[in-house]
Order: sequence, then structure tokens, then C-alpha cells
Amino acid sequence: MESIQTQIVVVGGGPGGYAAAFYAADKGKKVILVEQEPHLGGTCLRVGCIPSKALLHAGKMIHEAKESANRGITFGEPKLELAKLREWKRSVVAKLAGGVATIAKARGVQVLHGRGHFENSTTLRVETEAGQQFINYEQAIIAVGSKSAMPKAFDLGNPRIMTSTEALEVEEVPQDLLIVGGGYIGMELGTVYAALGSRVVVVEALPSILAGADPDLVRPVAKYAEKAFREVRLNTKVAKMATAGKQIKVIFEGGKEELYDRVLVSVGRVPNCSDLGLESTKVKRDDKGFIKVNPRQQTDDPNIYAIGDVVGGALLAHKAAREARVAIEVIAGDYSEFTDIIIPAVVFTDPEVAWCGLTEAEAKAKNIPVEVAKFPWSASGRALSFDRTDGLTKLIVDPETERVLGVGICGHGAGELISEGVLAIEMGATVRDIALCIHPHPTLSETIMEAAEVFYGHSTHTFTRKKA
Amino acid sequence: MDIKLPRLGEGADSGIVVSILVKEGDHVQAEQPILELETEKAVGTIPSSAAGTVTKIYAKIGDKLSAGQNILALAEGGGVAPVAALDKRGPVATSVPAAPEPRLPSAATVPARQVPGIPVAASPTVRRLAADLGIDLTRVVGTEPGGRITLADVRAYIVQLQAGAPEPAVAAAPVIESIDFSQWGPVKKTPLTPIRRTISRRMHESWSNIPHVTQFDEADATVLLDLVKKHKATFEAKGVRLTLTPLVMKAVAATLQKHPIFNTSLDEATHELVYKEYYHLGVAVDTEQGLLVPVIRDVNKKSVLEIAKDLEQLAEKAKQRKLSGDEMKGGTFTISNQGGIGGAHFTPIVNRPEVAILGIGRGALKPVVKDKTRIEPRVMMPLALSYDHRVIDGGSAARFIVDLVQALENLNEPVL
Repeated sequence: MESIQTQIVVVGGGPGGYAAAFYAADKGKKVILVEQEPHLGGTCLRVGCIPSKALLHAGKMIHEAKESANRGITFGEPKLELAKLREWKRSVVAKLAGGVATIAKARGVQVLHGRGHFENSTTLRVETEAGQQFINYEQAIIAVGSKSAMPKAFDLGNPRIMTSTEALEVEEVPQDLLIVGGGYIGMELGTVYAALGSRVVVVEALPSILAGADPDLVRPVAKYAEKAFREVRLNTKVAKMATAGKQIKVIFEGGKEELYDRVLVSVGRVPNCSDLGLESTKVKRDDKGFIKVNPRQQTDDPNIYAIGDVVGGALLAHKAAREARVAIEVIAGDYSEFTDIIIPAVVFTDPEVAWCGLTEAEAKAKNIPVEVAKFPWSASGRALSFDRTDGLTKLIVDPETERVLGVGICGHGAGELISEGVLAIEMGATVRDIALCIHPHPTLSETIMEAAEVFYGHSTHTFTRKKA
Repeated sequence: MDIKLPRLGEGADSGIVVSILVKEGDHVQAEQPILELETEKAVGTIPSSAAGTVTKIYAKIGDKLSAGQNILALAEGGGVAPVAALDKRGPVATSVPAAPEPRLPSAATVPARQVPGIPVAASPTVRRLAADLGIDLTRVVGTEPGGRITLADVRAYIVQLQAGAPEPAVAAAPVIESIDFSQWGPVKKTPLTPIRRTISRRMHESWSNIPHVTQFDEADATVLLDLVKKHKATFEAKGVRLTLTPLVMKAVAATLQKHPIFNTSLDEATHELVYKEYYHLGVAVDTEQGLLVPVIRDVNKKSVLEIAKDLEQLAEKAKQRKLSGDEMKGGTFTISNQGGIGGAHFTPIVNRPEVAILGIGRGALKPVVKDKTRIEPRVMMPLALSYDHRVIDGGSAARFIVDLVQALENLNEPVL
């Protein structure tokens, strides 16, 4: 069979892969984008960030309708039409995926749907519906992403034991839902299901939920979860599970047994490397299975690059997108490296948690001297005006230079606020730079300015005083 | 009032003025930077301890200033520096505590501390540019608050690098691909010996770092050669072979004493010229392994006999590869005499860190016009003086060679 010639083939059409393909096309390269699913967008767009945010938004309405009773506005009991909710969520995803496909077409990126398999360092075989296609490439970029880990002990083949992918389908709202793993996926989906009416129990093996975030930023989330969830059990491990009729029997370490209608396993993600034919190339993987790359996204195979979840590190779409740029720039012969780049993290719980740069815990662990300036949202007029003062904005500062090294925010819309922190750190800003920038009133962004003022000991609203 | 250089702290009490940031007639604020000073540790700005109008600037660029020395005079009109600490945390980055004991602000004189995972304090644009140019930003001093590095700081750093790093790295040799010469005929390959590699490296360093100029002349060696011929036997009786070289060395030592700049070295780290008050002459010896340069010490204090003895001994050692490293170190000037082999003028390469070298060719009988009327056959000895033009000007070189020719032509019996 005739093989297709191309300069660049990108394997995987997620936010890393399509960003790489588009950027390569913008740079004048001939690009083929290979995606095994019928739609572009990858985990993020199809079964991750986007649908989960859509569901969180829907759930939030239920919660806020209840809360508004405090403000003298009452609604009737919400009526849940799951099919309609699913359809709306599907339409959001479809709109986005369609948009990506349209942009691919406009850029002249050829999209080939099918499984990619490396024959050797210069050839990719793609199993399309129309049969096998062979692509001869100059450079390949592997962007095949990751999938939810499913430990053997939980893998009963029972659809009531779900990963995030199935949970996002919301086939039903189980009465009792167990979430194994209190990381960001477990906590976000717990928030969705709790809002829809499930009694949610989260078990976490570590002593804290949302490991990685500073404890003071996690506290408001933990408080919220205490109310919204039935229970959050820390330092707890599930030993195994068994099918028990229409329920799942969960056996905890220590022997305790409980019955749940459904279980969500969110204990981490593993790279999608198997069945990719990597053994026919020089690509090497680390002991966790992630593809090894250097800061220029180059694998051990000189023709093959890898980006996104499949190379490990922070499994985040925005990290993948930046790595995509690095890979294409390196291929184009420009200088580029993924080194010392600030990757913000956002957890879309209620309230949201977002941070970037150095965390307080990290500074402590690494013995880096820092000063921390905190501004509690109870002092924010804006937060008070929508009844969500459960928030905190803090700056982690180099005491010697007063440079901002880290920013942490917990509170409503923290994800939208954190970018200012990224900009500050990337630009090498000092606390004074932030304090000297006017932040509009009344907004939540003021909390960042006020935290900077706290650093100098003259924040206007450190006390819950009404702003004049 | 006069603004003096404050104590700088941390052992540095003086520095070289790199730039003056104000001019006469300027109005300066208290704490406004007035000059940049380079200390052993770094370059930093010195703030004015008071406000006023600059009436006179005492300091000049390149001056070495010590604590307490006057920098400039101010006509008062602004009061003394306010206490810098406007809040409990004290000054930010470039602001400096006021008199009596201001110090160099740490954030503006040394690169800011690095935190793992956090980029250097510079905008992403500046960071990418620096990476593209191969500039390590962790070594660059940021002048903005927080040690933030601006494009101007990167530029200043590059200028500083070019102005002469302490030990300028030899530019990486361009990657040269091997040529297969056997495609045009049979070849034989031999690896470079360690000596040849050293020679190669040192010659390249010298050639690429020193702007060379070679000054030519000829000396009438007729009398000198007669002198050698005449005394050969007496020297031999003392077990020493007399050649022209010891006599030339004597003349060179005398000329060096008259022109001390030829007996210096350039300290590129401190921008100082080091005048050596000893006259150790290196003599290039052609050995089977390659060029070696043993050093004969204190030539100015030695008799020709002693010099000849030393030279013979060291040359012999060189040929037998028995020279110690110390015997090749400490030279202040080098002589390369090819007269024994042949050839006329050539352009020797300065033996770094020396600043000049004398090349001597084979003396040849030439018709020389004497007294504007007579033509006499004289043995003319070609002289070629290569020198480091950074240190030595053309006029100095011409004067040196004129005096050297005279010294050579005037050598006579008493020297022996």
C-alpha cells in the first residue's frame, strides 16, 4: 500500500496534540493529526475538564438556589432531568470538538481517525475504518495522554465501579456513592454528585484531601465537603470490592465493610503507552511508564517527541499545550525549552483552589526562606456581597528581594484569579509591584492587591470594615 | 558639600568607577544613584547621601576610589537623605540606607538568590532572549526591585563580558569535519603529541587574544660576529660554546631596561599592567618534539659567559626533553633566533602572558651605504619585533627596535 508522506505526524488529538498540529501548520509544516476517537479534543475536552465543568456549573445552580433562601428568595425543589442534563453536556462537548475540527481544516491539518502504531522510527501505521494507512514522517509527536488508573483489586468489570470517564456520563444519581481518592478529580466529581443528590463518602489514603495544595487553602474546601458530603475519611484505604447484587460491597483495610450503589475510583492516572509500538522505536519510558523526554520534549528517538500527560509531571491540559509549542519550536530549529515555567494548578471544587509557583509547604520542605502574606476573604466586600467569604488569598515572598515566588488562592473563582499570580512570578514582580497596581473595586482581584498590602502592614481591609 | 564614597562593607573598601550617572548642573535627590562602582565582588551603584545641585564631579571613569574619597560636590538645596526605611520592612532592593554608613544594596550588586523551579527574575521575553544567546541569567545582576533583570541589564552584562572577562574563554573551535584526503592519494596519519597539542593550544590562544603587530629592522652584525669568532676559543677553553644568542640577549636586556613596557604583562582581570623588575628571557629552542622555550633568569645581572653557560645547559635539556615546567616559566620577553637555520624576517607570535617577542633571521652580507658615498659589504641581521598592540603603541615599538639595533651594533669587548 502507498504510504503517506508528511513532515510531522501528531499522535493524539487532545489539547497537547491539536495545539502541536496547529502550531506546526502555522509554521508552514505539512502535518497529519492522528486521533483514535471519532472526535478531537482528548480527555480534557471529551471526558475531563470541559464536561466536568459543565456538570459543576449545573450542580452549582441547585446549591445556590437553596442558599438563596437565606436572602429571602426561595425556589421549589429542583427537578432533575438527567437525560436533558447529559444532552446539554454533550452539546457543550460537541460544540467544542466541532470547533477544533473546523480549525484543523482551516489550517490544512489532515486529521486521520484511527489507532496509531509505530512500525519504526519513521513510519506510523494507522488503523482507520478504511483500513491500514502508513505514514512516513520526519518527526512524530506523541501526545496520547493518560487514562484513569484502575487497580486490579477494584477491576471487577462491574459498571457500577466507575472511573471519571463513566462518572461524567451520569447514567444515574446513586443514592450512596463512594469516591476512592480525594484528589482533584474525586473532589470535583464528589461536588457534582453531592449537588445532584448523592450521599457522597470520600476516602483518601493520605492525611489530607487535595494533596499538593497548602493546607490553609484546602481548609475551606474541607469545610464545605463536611457539610455537602456525608463523610470525608482520611488515612483510609480500600482493600477490595465485590459485587453485591445491585450494589458494591467495599472492604476497607482493617476489615470494615460497607455497601454502595456506585463507586468512583480516582486514584491517579496512567500513561496511554501500551499498544503504541514504542518498542519498534528508540523511545524509552520511566519506571512508571511515562515516556522519557528532555526539556526540549525530545525522546530517546531522534525523530520522536512527546508532550502532555504521556511524559508525566503535572497532568494538565495547559502544560501539554505549552509543551506542544516547545516541541514545534525545537523541530523548527528555534530555541525552546520547558524549564522553570510556572504551571498553575486549579481545583474546581466549591470553593475553588488555585496556586502557582512555590507553595508554602514546598518552601518549608526545601528550607527556602519565605514570608507569607495572607488576606482573608472575610475582609473582601465583593466576597461578602455574594455570600462566599470562605476564601483566602496569599502570597509567598522572598524576604530578601520581596519577589513574589508563589501565589495561592482559595475561594469562588480562584481559577480565574490565579493568572495574575502566574504573570507576577513569570515577570519577576515584587510584592510592591502588585500593591502599586490598582485592582478594580469591588472585585475579588482586590484580594491579591490587599495581600500585597498585608505584606507591608498596611492593607486597608485587613479588618472586616466596610469599604467607604 | 562634598559627597564622599561611603564604606561599602563586606571587606570591599574601594573600587573602580565604571560610570558616572550624573553631570554637573544636575539636580540629584538624596539616595539617587550617582555612580557605578566596580568592587572585587560586583558592580553596584552608589547613592548620593544628600540632595542638591551637582557643582563639580571629582571622580572620573576608571578612577580607583576608596571609602571617604570625594565623588562630587553638591550645592545644597534639598536636605539630607531621609531615613530610607519607610516602613518596618526597610528598603526594597535598590534603595539604600542613608548616611552615615550606606552600603551597596545587596539586591543590585549580586545576582538574586535562585529558588528551584521558579524562573530567574526576568520577563519571559528576556529569559528566552538570554537562553537564545547562551547567557546564564543567574549570573546577571538585575537592577530593578527584587533583582529583576531587564533587557538593559542583559545588554550591560554582555558589554561587561566583552570588556574582558578575567580569563576569556577560548572561543569554541568551529566544528570542522574531517576531510578524507586518501581520496586523492595515499596518506599516513600520526596523532598530535602532547607537546604539539600544547603548542597548538597556546599559539591559538595567543594569536586569537592578542592583536599582533610586527616591527621589522636590520642590525649590522659584522662587528658582533667578529667578536664571537674572536672569543670562541677562550669560551671553549672554559667549556662553553659561544654563539650570537647570549650577546643578543645581553643587548635585549639592556634595551628592555630602557623600555620597561616591553617587560610587562597585562592583567585582564584587574585591567592593570604588571611591570616586572626582573629580566628573565625565554629562548625558543627548536627540538625534535617541537618548540620549547626555556627561561634564562636575570639576564641583566649575568655575564655573557654565564648566560652562554645557562643557555647551553637549558637548550641541551630541552633537546633531551628534560626541561622542568619551572624552567619554562616566569619569562618576561622571548627571543626566537632562526639565524642558525636560515631565512630572513618572519613574524613571531607573542609568548603570552608576555607582551613582546624578538625574532632573529640569518645575517646576510649586504651592500650598505656608508657616509653617503661608500658602499660596504656588511652582515645585516634581520630583526622582527612582534608586540601586543593592546599594551604597546607603534611608536614605542619603533623606539625599542632603534635602541636595540644600536645596542647590538655597539656591543664590544668589555661586555665579554
